[in-house]
Amino acid sequence: MNLWPVIKLSWKNVWRNPVRSGVVIISVILGTWAGVFSSAFMNGLSLQYIKNELENYTAHIQIHHAGYNEENLPSYYIPSADSIIEDLRSKSFVQNVTARSLAQGLASSATNTFGVTVNGVDLETDSTVSSIYSYLVEGDLFDESTRNPVLIGQKLADRLNIKLRSRMVLNFQDVDGNITAAAFRVAGIFNSPNANFDESNVFVPAEDLNQLMDRENLVHEIALLVDDFKQADAYAEQIRQNENLEVRSWGDISPALRYTDSMLDFTLYIFMIIIIIALTFGIVNTMLMAVMERTQELGMLMAIGVNKPRTFSMIMFETLFLTLVGVPAGLFLSWATIAWLGTVGIDLSAFSQGLEMYGISSMVHPELSPAYYGNIALLMLFATLLAAIYPSIKALKLNPVQAIRKL
Amino acid sequence: MAIIEIQEITKIYNPEHVPVHALNGVNIEIEEGEFTAIVGPSGSGKTTLLNVIGGLDEPTSGKIFIKGTDMFSLSEKKLIDFRLNHIGFVFQAYNLIPVLTAKENVNFILQMQGQSKSTYEKRSEELLHMVGLDDKMDKRPSELSGGQQQRVAVARALASKPDFVLADEPTANLDSKSTANLLDMMLRLNEEEQTTFIFSTHDQRVVERARRVVTLVDGKVETDEVRNSKL
Repeated sequence: MNLWPVIKLSWKNVWRNPVRSGVVIISVILGTWAGVFSSAFMNGLSLQYIKNELENYTAHIQIHHAGYNEENLPSYYIPSADSIIEDLRSKSFVQNVTARSLAQGLASSATNTFGVTVNGVDLETDSTVSSIYSYLVEGDLFDESTRNPVLIGQKLADRLNIKLRSRMVLNFQDVDGNITAAAFRVAGIFNSPNANFDESNVFVPAEDLNQLMDRENLVHEIALLVDDFKQADAYAEQIRQNENLEVRSWGDISPALRYTDSMLDFTLYIFMIIIIIALTFGIVNTMLMAVMERTQELGMLMAIGVNKPRTFSMIMFETLFLTLVGVPAGLFLSWATIAWLGTVGIDLSAFSQGLEMYGISSMVHPELSPAYYGNIALLMLFATLLAAIYPSIKALKLNPVQAIRKL
Repeated sequence: MAIIEIQEITKIYNPEHVPVHALNGVNIEIEEGEFTAIVGPSGSGKTTLLNVIGGLDEPTSGKIFIKGTDMFSLSEKKLIDFRLNHIGFVFQAYNLIPVLTAKENVNFILQMQGQSKSTYEKRSEELLHMVGLDDKMDKRPSELSGGQQQRVAVARALASKPDFVLADEPTANLDSKSTANLLDMMLRLNEEEQTTFIFSTHDQRVVERARRVVTLVDGKVETDEVRNSKL
């Protein structure tokens, strides 16, 4: 069946009422833009939250002794950590690596005591994996003139009722299980978006902690960033070769974050589908009007020999053309907006306090994967075809004699 | 040879409630090349008869043969194709496709038939020349007068080289000059192309120029007058 004349006629019919078609096309453009841009905004917000969580606290992959995560014992350190780190640095997907010694203990001031994890870090490498140091609000990073410097969170400082330069005591077990304690001086106070983390983590130079734990080059945790955090599971699998070590991706460490990430796409599509449904009803309405006001003409076409498949196709193509003009324009507009705002960012500093409670900074960079654009185009196409069915069937039900009243 | 044989056609509207007998046993044979007017008072069944002959409305009983084909034994799909290839229609309200030019309106039928571009371009130009619209080919219906639109409608009806053309009151919306022009043109096509025209009309000027006049009263053929002389 030759549909070409019907397709040409459909295209001309779209422009029969340019104002009405223009309104529909503009609504499709705006609907597509609004949906896609909102999705990009939500996506950017969520990705930023996830990235902040990973880059501030979790890193992309962590490596521990196989028993460490069960019991957190100091004796569960990573043997031959240097060679493992060397090996990791040789992998193309690994961007930055750091080694930490850890101790679970108590932080005490003159007035209070609180349970903390003592992180023994090498600032030079740790600052390439964790952004926690960028949240320093008072003091300085480990001051060389200060003996036993410690960085603590604002929340812990408040709990212990201590300030910058105050002394505090850290109690913990050494590698042999003996209780050890040492006085530290607060060299800096950080205030990150995660108050729980700030309350329960302190940072000291690795050599200070290792000396107290009675081992040189002690490493309990190797944390690394990779080139694509979404690939962390696959990369962790590649690294996982020594059965005495436990290699965990960020998703293994923080299932809540993994859930947030996996639900993100689903949420975006649900949101977009709701917008598409609303647009679809607008299109159905327009096409129904177009059919109802052309009953005589459609009846004439059927009378002179335009068969049902051609009549059906004509209305389908008219609907399709309305969308085919609107959707690419809407997607292009969305892409341009997202590309621009993705670079310059959207400044939400007016809401910074509320956002920081959720670990989100006040500058949001909308972003969307190219696949999303393609999927939206397919969804719109599918919705349009669905929207066209009812008006097309309505056209088919016309009786030529009644439609044209008489010959 | 009769190209249309109408045998005992009846058409009853609303048969289960208040039956309206639009046609009551109509028998007519139409020969090739005839120029036939169906006349009669309002409600006499003229339009119903044309609808039935055109395959747009199914009779309650009786048969219609077009060149030997029992039209209503065809499936719906085949009947639509049959109309496309065998019957030309001219409507009272012209009913051209408003978004297409005069030439595109004529082309459309030929494109539906699957004719090649060179064929339909040539044919539509010939037809529009025949109806005297050489200079209006690229005009849309809204840019043409009523008489010009009806000429395009006639050209469109002839495009598929149909066995016959059905026209329901083709001059009803035209002024007297346009009516005369249209009739001249139809008669010329009838004489030169041997095109069979069957049309309903109230217009006495049209009736006077018909070569056969079938008068319907209450759904029955009251008179069937054949005039031998060509007017």
